[in-house]
Amino acid sequence: MTRNEAASVPPIALELIGITKQFGRTDVLTGIDLAVDEGDFVVFVGPSGCGKSTLLRIIAGLEDQTAGNLRIAGASADGVPPAKRGIGMVFQSYALYPHLDVAGNMSLALKREGIPRDEIARRLNAAAEMLELAPLLKRKPSALSGGQRQRVAIGRAIVRQPKLFLFDEPLSNLDAALRVNTRIEIANLHRVLGTTMIYVTHDQTEAMTLADKIVVLYEGKIQQAGRPIDLYDTPANVFVAGFIGSPKMNFVGGDEARRAGAAMLGVRPEHLSITTGDARWTGVVRHAERLGSDTFLYVQTQTAGELTVRVVGKTELGVGDSVGLVPLPGMLHRFDDRGVRLP
Amino acid sequence: MTPASPAGRAARPARPHIIVFLAPAILVYTAVMIVPLFETLRLSVFRSVANADTFVGWANFGALFFDDRWSHGFWNALRNNVIFFCIQMVQNPIGIGLAALLALPRLRGSAFYRTAIFMPTLLSFVIVGFGWKLILSPLWGVAPSLLGAVGLKFLFAPYLGRENSALITLGLISVWQYVGVPMMLCYAALISIPDELIDAAEIDGIVGIEQFFKIKLPLIWPTVGMISILTFVGNFNAFDLIYVTQGALAGPNYSTDILGTLLYRTFFGYQLQLGDPNMGATVATMMFLIILAGVCIYLFAVQRRLSRYQF
Amino acid sequence: MSRRTIAAHAALIAYTAVALLPVLFIVMNSLKSRRAIFATPLALPGPGTFDLVGYTTVLASGGFGTYFTNSLIVTLLSLAGILAFGSMAAFALAEYRFRLNTLTGLYLMLGIMIPIRLGTVGILELMVGSHLVNTLTALILVYIASGLPIAVFVLTEFMRTISDDLKNAGRVDGLSEYEIFYWLALPLVRPALSTVAVFTMIPIWNDLWFPLILAPGDSTRTVTLGAQQFIGQYVTNWNAVLAALSLSILPVVVLYLLFSKNLIRGITAGAVK
Repeated sequence: MTRNEAASVPPIALELIGITKQFGRTDVLTGIDLAVDEGDFVVFVGPSGCGKSTLLRIIAGLEDQTAGNLRIAGASADGVPPAKRGIGMVFQSYALYPHLDVAGNMSLALKREGIPRDEIARRLNAAAEMLELAPLLKRKPSALSGGQRQRVAIGRAIVRQPKLFLFDEPLSNLDAALRVNTRIEIANLHRVLGTTMIYVTHDQTEAMTLADKIVVLYEGKIQQAGRPIDLYDTPANVFVAGFIGSPKMNFVGGDEARRAGAAMLGVRPEHLSITTGDARWTGVVRHAERLGSDTFLYVQTQTAGELTVRVVGKTELGVGDSVGLVPLPGMLHRFDDRGVRLP
Repeated sequence: MTPASPAGRAARPARPHIIVFLAPAILVYTAVMIVPLFETLRLSVFRSVANADTFVGWANFGALFFDDRWSHGFWNALRNNVIFFCIQMVQNPIGIGLAALLALPRLRGSAFYRTAIFMPTLLSFVIVGFGWKLILSPLWGVAPSLLGAVGLKFLFAPYLGRENSALITLGLISVWQYVGVPMMLCYAALISIPDELIDAAEIDGIVGIEQFFKIKLPLIWPTVGMISILTFVGNFNAFDLIYVTQGALAGPNYSTDILGTLLYRTFFGYQLQLGDPNMGATVATMMFLIILAGVCIYLFAVQRRLSRYQF
Repeated sequence: MSRRTIAAHAALIAYTAVALLPVLFIVMNSLKSRRAIFATPLALPGPGTFDLVGYTTVLASGGFGTYFTNSLIVTLLSLAGILAFGSMAAFALAEYRFRLNTLTGLYLMLGIMIPIRLGTVGILELMVGSHLVNTLTALILVYIASGLPIAVFVLTEFMRTISDDLKNAGRVDGLSEYEIFYWLALPLVRPALSTVAVFTMIPIWNDLWFPLILAPGDSTRTVTLGAQQFIGQYVTNWNAVLAALSLSILPVVVLYLLFSKNLIRGITAGAVK
């Protein structure tokens, strides 16, 4: 690569080549190939047991892959111990050292590396300010709230100035309101620091809102990787289509689908409109959820099973009403008998 | 219904079941452990001559400390107890060390090691005492042959038969027997440390021995403290091993005599020596006071600084 | 395997050898003829050296059957008493709020720090007075009293973790407090019961002091005391001594190997909490 070419391509922060992991006889990860650009926020998302946490631990060096190679910032990281990979990690349970105070927690690793005391103090104060931890430095973890412990865990990772930040479901232990706030804080953190971040979650909302790139994992394989909006608009298979987007995409199989030349049809609740004229599907409203901002109607149709329809704002329609539904043009997804997207 | 029930208050309905639940334990415990203990304390301030008990205050204790008939035995036994205890304290670091190795993640064969190392703890003193006596016996030849095999034959001596080495040898045999207990308790404490905490340490670069001393050990201090105080108390129970290997006279020449064996001889007599319940009670009371002092020091000086961490 | 792991295994193997070899020597040599014991103590019993004379001597001397039964009775009944009374007391301490709760708990548990042997004269007087000298009952009572403190200590902690909702559901269903204790609480603290059983069973079986002082008679002798006196008698008959030792070891080891998984699970169950 010439110098000009190299300058215009963002450097690769992380490269996974054919990563496979087996526990005993069970395949947990199969043939994972991925390249992460520097500065990107990548989210691994998938249901429980899909292998995302295992993949994160392999990247961190807490587990060794059964086969395949791992490169961090261009250098091979196979077999390199976690401390030498230049990573920082935030755990689901925060994993703070209970016997040390906040300052101790954040500086233990630096002391071990032999970094001079004034440099440690400098980094500590910078992180404490960024995360609003300054008044808490002398407290022990048991005296902190969940959100505060969260921030200390992040602070502990920041002060090491890592090349790669790893987050393992950091918001799972927080209550709903705190989760939204912390999500925004993490997004801000990424903006300010610009470090490459790998984030694991089972929550597709977190994935959609935080990621530059989403990697959907299921049964140990990458189902699709790409920008959030691409996964939303053009899901590669039935699993991704059903996983991304809330409420879930409506799926219609059987004769209806075959008539359209596919084994399975998909249409999102927000892409169905209620019509009084020519309807593709008709049915009766079985249940209505009124949120104020939206209304979700669950319609039992005659030919397409039960469909969920989103109506913006409020509607007079309710249980027992007959409705006609038609998908918005171009918003009907088609999948073949293996679940793969048809163009 | 028991109107004297501590739970019976005007506003609350009587709860006789509390008494029922507590009674058996409290009765047996009080009758067989607490009352006899007070009886011992009482005997130590009396002297019985021809079936008449006379109150003598501190006289028995004075005799124990200063009267040649008793004091030599007492101070010797006390000194030996201290030495024995110091050797026993070796057992805890070994136990903790073994536990640390066993608690390493992904260590294969951990269950086998645990089972094997814990086995001596199950053996009775008879087996341990006699077994080791035979092995160390100069007549048999196992120990010299083994030492010879690693070129250390010159180290062999009839340890149990020599005054200056018998006590230490017995102390080490006791360590051999009981290492399993601190090992198991520390192992249990170590595996209760959440894995994610260890992961975080690995990522911070704190690994190996440093990880043990900086992260794991601080978190199991309460367990270590408890084991230490239990070793201290157990030390005063030591009798069986010495009785089995050296007899109640705790030879050679009383060099292995500790307070436990002294107590036995003083209470019940042995061969030429007549038993004296009052002096025996005095010895027992001294043991009790020493234990009490040790436990109080532990509870107030040490225990308070140890916090038990909730994970 | 990393260097660290190899070093760890080396240390563990070394210590395992230290722990097991003495036992192996005894058993090995108990199966050899007297000449072989002295000539080649380190060798395994082979065709020329194999000899069961030690065992025949021991088994012929008789009495061991009684001793074994005595130990079994004493240990099992003491264990039953400790577990029954201890769990009842623990349940009450953990469940009910009453004025003397903390005090009663402390009272019972301070026995952990007091060796029961210190009260031996008083105990002997008690047993003499109740005509219980040279009975197994005396031993059983003593062992129950000495095992209660640690049992109450461990079991109270476990009883505290039983959910209140469960107990209240029982009350709403009309269960009496005794039924709640027996049907709901007890099954839930089973790991703790096995831990306590293991820790108290071993010292009871192996105890010399109280059998020596309270029940030294031939019909009430426990197997530990019996073995000690037997060996004291036959001190120069190495075959018999080694055989007697091996016979004492074997039942314990067999039981241990059978139950080691449960045993260890019991001890470490507290950790999982």
